[in-house]
Amino acid sequence: MSNTNSKHTVREQTKPLVAVDNPEDEIDPIQRRVIGGSLINICDEMGHKLTRMSYSSIIRESEDFGCALLDEQGRQLCETDSTPLQMGPIPAYVQGVIDLFEERDEAFNEGDVILHNDPYYGASHAPDFGIIIPVFHEGELTGFSVTTAHHLEIGADKPGTCIIETVDSYSESIRLSALKIVEEGDRNDTAWDMIADNIRTPDMVMGDIEAQISAARVGARRLTELFDDYDHHTVKIAGQALMNYSERMLRSEISKLPDGTYSAEGYIDGYLESENPAEKDVFLAVDLEIDGDDIEVDLSRCDDQLDNKPINMPFEGAVIPAVLLVIRSTLLDTEKFEMVPQNDGITRPVSVHAPKGSIANPRFPAPTIARFTPGNRIADLTLKALTEVVPEKTCAGIGNLKVSTNSGVTDDDEYWVYMDISSGSYGARPTKDGLDAVDTLYANTRNNPIEDIESHYPLRVSRYELRENDEGAGEFRGGYGPIRELQYQTDGRMSIEGDGSKYPPWGFAGGQDGSPGALLVESEIDETTPRSKMSNKPISEGQRVTLIGPCGGGWGDPLDRDPERVQADVLDDLVSRERAKEVYGVVITEDGEIDQESTVELREDRR
Amino acid sequence: MTIIGVDIGGTFTDVFLIDNETETQAIHKVSTTDDPSVGALTGIREICEMADTPPENVDYVLHGTTIATNAVLEHEGVETGMITTENYRDISHIGRHQRPQNYSIQQDIPWQSNPLTKRRHRKTVSERLTPPDGNVKVPLDEDAVVDAARELKDEGVEAIAICFLFSYLNDVHEQRAKEIVEDVYPEAYVTASSEVYSQFREFERFTTTAMNAFIGPNVVEYINRFKKELTSYGITADLHIMQSNGGIATDGMAAEKPVSLLLSGPAAGILGGQWRSELSTPTDEDPNTITLDMGGTSADIGIIDDGEVTEANIRETEIGGYPVMAPMIDIETIGAGGGSIAYVDQGGAFRVGPKSAGANPGPASYGRGGTEPTVTDAHVALGRVRPEFFLGGEMDLDTEAAKDAVSKTLANPLGMEMVDAGLGVLDIVNNSMANAIRSKTIQKGRDPANFTLVTFGGAGPMHAADLIEELNIPRAVIPVNPGVLSAVGLTTTDIQYDYVNTEFSLMSDLDQDGLRDTYDDLANQARTQLRSDGIPRDRISLELTADCRYEGQGYELNLTVGTSGKIDDIETIRQRFHEAHEAEFGHNFPGNPVEVVNERITGYGELPSSEQVSFPEATTPVADHVLAEEVVYFRDDEESVALDTPFFERNDLRAGHSIEGPAIIGEKDSTTVVPPNFTATVLAHGDLELTQTE
Repeated sequence: MSNTNSKHTVREQTKPLVAVDNPEDEIDPIQRRVIGGSLINICDEMGHKLTRMSYSSIIRESEDFGCALLDEQGRQLCETDSTPLQMGPIPAYVQGVIDLFEERDEAFNEGDVILHNDPYYGASHAPDFGIIIPVFHEGELTGFSVTTAHHLEIGADKPGTCIIETVDSYSESIRLSALKIVEEGDRNDTAWDMIADNIRTPDMVMGDIEAQISAARVGARRLTELFDDYDHHTVKIAGQALMNYSERMLRSEISKLPDGTYSAEGYIDGYLESENPAEKDVFLAVDLEIDGDDIEVDLSRCDDQLDNKPINMPFEGAVIPAVLLVIRSTLLDTEKFEMVPQNDGITRPVSVHAPKGSIANPRFPAPTIARFTPGNRIADLTLKALTEVVPEKTCAGIGNLKVSTNSGVTDDDEYWVYMDISSGSYGARPTKDGLDAVDTLYANTRNNPIEDIESHYPLRVSRYELRENDEGAGEFRGGYGPIRELQYQTDGRMSIEGDGSKYPPWGFAGGQDGSPGALLVESEIDETTPRSKMSNKPISEGQRVTLIGPCGGGWGDPLDRDPERVQADVLDDLVSRERAKEVYGVVITEDGEIDQESTVELREDRR
Repeated sequence: MTIIGVDIGGTFTDVFLIDNETETQAIHKVSTTDDPSVGALTGIREICEMADTPPENVDYVLHGTTIATNAVLEHEGVETGMITTENYRDISHIGRHQRPQNYSIQQDIPWQSNPLTKRRHRKTVSERLTPPDGNVKVPLDEDAVVDAARELKDEGVEAIAICFLFSYLNDVHEQRAKEIVEDVYPEAYVTASSEVYSQFREFERFTTTAMNAFIGPNVVEYINRFKKELTSYGITADLHIMQSNGGIATDGMAAEKPVSLLLSGPAAGILGGQWRSELSTPTDEDPNTITLDMGGTSADIGIIDDGEVTEANIRETEIGGYPVMAPMIDIETIGAGGGSIAYVDQGGAFRVGPKSAGANPGPASYGRGGTEPTVTDAHVALGRVRPEFFLGGEMDLDTEAAKDAVSKTLANPLGMEMVDAGLGVLDIVNNSMANAIRSKTIQKGRDPANFTLVTFGGAGPMHAADLIEELNIPRAVIPVNPGVLSAVGLTTTDIQYDYVNTEFSLMSDLDQDGLRDTYDDLANQARTQLRSDGIPRDRISLELTADCRYEGQGYELNLTVGTSGKIDDIETIRQRFHEAHEAEFGHNFPGNPVEVVNERITGYGELPSSEQVSFPEATTPVADHVLAEEVVYFRDDEESVALDTPFFERNDLRAGHSIEGPAIIGEKDSTTVVPPNFTATVLAHGDLELTQTE
């Protein structure tokens, strides 16, 4: 693969294997498994250390971080099992640093620690700081140990990181482009102080950066020990064999699919309150071509970038991970392919194209900090395209998410900043209902326990429950989104980055669409225009803000739903008796029993 | 002092008796009954008779049970309700809003697809506490609790979990609600989250509590029945039960907290395996050990790394996919046992397990009506188990029935010879055990080449050689009485009680006297409990620790804080925390405030240990002990071979005896297979060591 079309950015394919043609032949299978197991164990240990050492709940409770080890060419060997949106971009971070070092004629040295958040050089978006440690063995660069994590505060013009109004890349964070904060073992105090001085909650953020460095150092040390235990060549061969295995597995699944182009398109809310039509109802489209054992994903039909709104998506750091996530989760669903490791091999059969200047491949310095929900919609549309060709491995439309930054200034004139991730829900599957109230697609973080939030911030989570009666009906129904209500205990400000309040998750095969999400601010009069975003809005003491997650789409005709499943939903107060009758054609008596006769009759009438 | 260990497995109930004054040891094995307490009592009665011990002379009955585990794994608890805080009905359903698998569309979330409490049985009541002190913001609506209890009763719920937010800070509402529910519905099993796991993180606490309720009634009923039968037999000693962390609890504690018993049975086995591994290790080094306990229904795998039993991380402990916040040994269980049934599936693939023939009808060769071939039948059909050795000749084995079952169900449909089908059954079951061992060793970066495999349980020693060959493990140890090692292991542990005080204070806000008072109070509770167990003062020891963290962190490190009566200086403890943080994470923050989250005391009551009875040295050539030579089938490369194979009775062998394979060593409760190219050596304590012949 090469840059054949100047209009498109073609994802650079993996470099050719340098060591040997058939690594599998050069290593005995037991040793390969031992080394593969050791690599996974190192990543687990890195993740474990990072969660335990970090300060902000976004890392220690929500696990919005990733850890990975890469070989000396920047190819990923293994990763943690935290959130895919943090692990997926790690190879791009490392490539970005390699490119910047080449441009600047700078070198990797033993003892360096590199801090990087440049979305135009591989970072996923500015708040996700990468810590990259080059690993040396006997004086030779042998790999990279990397951690990425979402930081609570990054010195933008507004508190926190859920920022929806920025004008360019400079206004959304302190820019850290391949900055050596530790150089050959010596800490760069000037850089350190400068970062601390530019963020509103320096103790927490600097503590989290320290935690990231410690975890990456653990990875580097363990990788070096592995090189000591075996030899460099053996570890390298084992790594290549593992990557080739994953690649082979994915190619074998792709080759079972009929060649052809499969498409899906849809909208995101964008800025529903905006007067500029370009800023709302933003169009996204995915054209997925299967050709033998390759997949090419073309995003050329997506709308152009928004020059002054940060919902543009970094191509390497957000778009590619979104597409790969869906291809892996459907074709190599771990429910069935548990043993296929997630590494560079998974990326090889897939190429992604988006023209420069597209919302899916913006030009510097367009802002990108709020790329999260559009990227998840790209994933949802990739899934929709695949539904045309492998419906048995997919699901109906998935609900998008909302993330909030809550902030204020204490009586001691210090900032407090808290970030909360609210969930969506999954569409129904071919043989099962959708998952309720979960993080979706390329995001798989954890909510912060209510008991943790209220112990640390002047906030109350005054309600956290499932929606009722809003599911995407079908033979299998979509999942229920959550209702999460935050109440301020002091005056403060709130920003919300979200989407999915206008366009409901799509139904499939006769299943109904799900329900869009919503964002409600207590005592505000205008609730007629749906909205999904909020910019640094003052919230007064006692005021409540309700975040409602979408309900996923349904699968198959609701009239085909097993009456006992409908009955169970009625007993569980998820579906009212009226709705059971009206939508599913199932008559449930006051005692909660199925009226079989009336049900059969009603269903026959409806068909 | 006389101690009885009783371990109930899926197929057999094992009993071990030790009297350290008369140096009497006895072992016994009976079939597990539908009501497991019946078989257990039969075993106890018979072993007392065998050892000439009157029941009133028994000082301790120590018990390992799978009753709690099975209730969770088979989802066979009772219909369970929850009373929780209004506006938070779905905490246990939403969980941490995280999908268990990153890369899966078709996955299930156990607490959503198979909830411990259905939404219809989750009732909310008005009440609310707030941090940091657990102050009451909204008072408990007691009428609503009454209504909820009545509704749950009408709905046929048998157990009720009371789960309120912030109850770990203040249990007043949970306790009051519990009183009300017990008043309205006295037959129900009621459990409150602050009693089960008094720590923040509501989803994990509520789920652990719901599980406690879900399995509670079955466990309580079982314990009561067992106690009653012990009493009726004349045993006056209290019943003690092994907990998942390898410590022993009273029956009362077990009934209150059945979630602490989820790995009761397997934990006993690992402790037994650890003991034998230490005995059989030639040096003073703490051995690395893989324990494989293969019984009739399942195989449990445990890892002892540098002499330490690995404990699961409490954030990662789960049973059947549900988070369970209870300390437990790290154990991998797979459905592979002697009773696992082999079959040909719809797609024509050859499969073994996880379905087991259990004790009834049991394998075809038991002649109790079983017709499906099991792993045991494969061994019998291959000539490896001789009826006269099986359970000491107390039970007949029908060799022809085993061969028939293997032929009809497997060999004929697959177009294979009977012998190849039998060997195929063993290949498949060995492979699944090897994979499970890999997941705990290789996948964790541990090289099996540095470990000893201790195999036990009735079926384990038949598979030891094949496993060490497949995994490149240098040696296997088959302990004395391998079939009852779990029961023996029960008697090697100490009685252990844990007491916790939730503190949540900055170290700078604590004063030395207050800290001392807190620990004194905990120490008194521990000592009182241990004395009431009849543990003499000089056999009681206390471990005083504190869970600490930097203010703002979410996870704690556990530190020792001195000894009872002599709490270390607070400044010393603070310094110790900084050092522990440095050691654990490679970094510390000397300027940051340190928070004490919990004070803890673990009280240990040392039981007289099962000193190893000395084992006699060999005085005769091993060849003198060949009982018979028979044809046994083995695998040689890809081919099956029939070899004339000597049979030995293990009781005839003495320390120093060495046997080159092929050979079969039978004993009362197990059979050790020594394939060609393996050597079996009897070690000093009577354990059998298997190595590949150089």
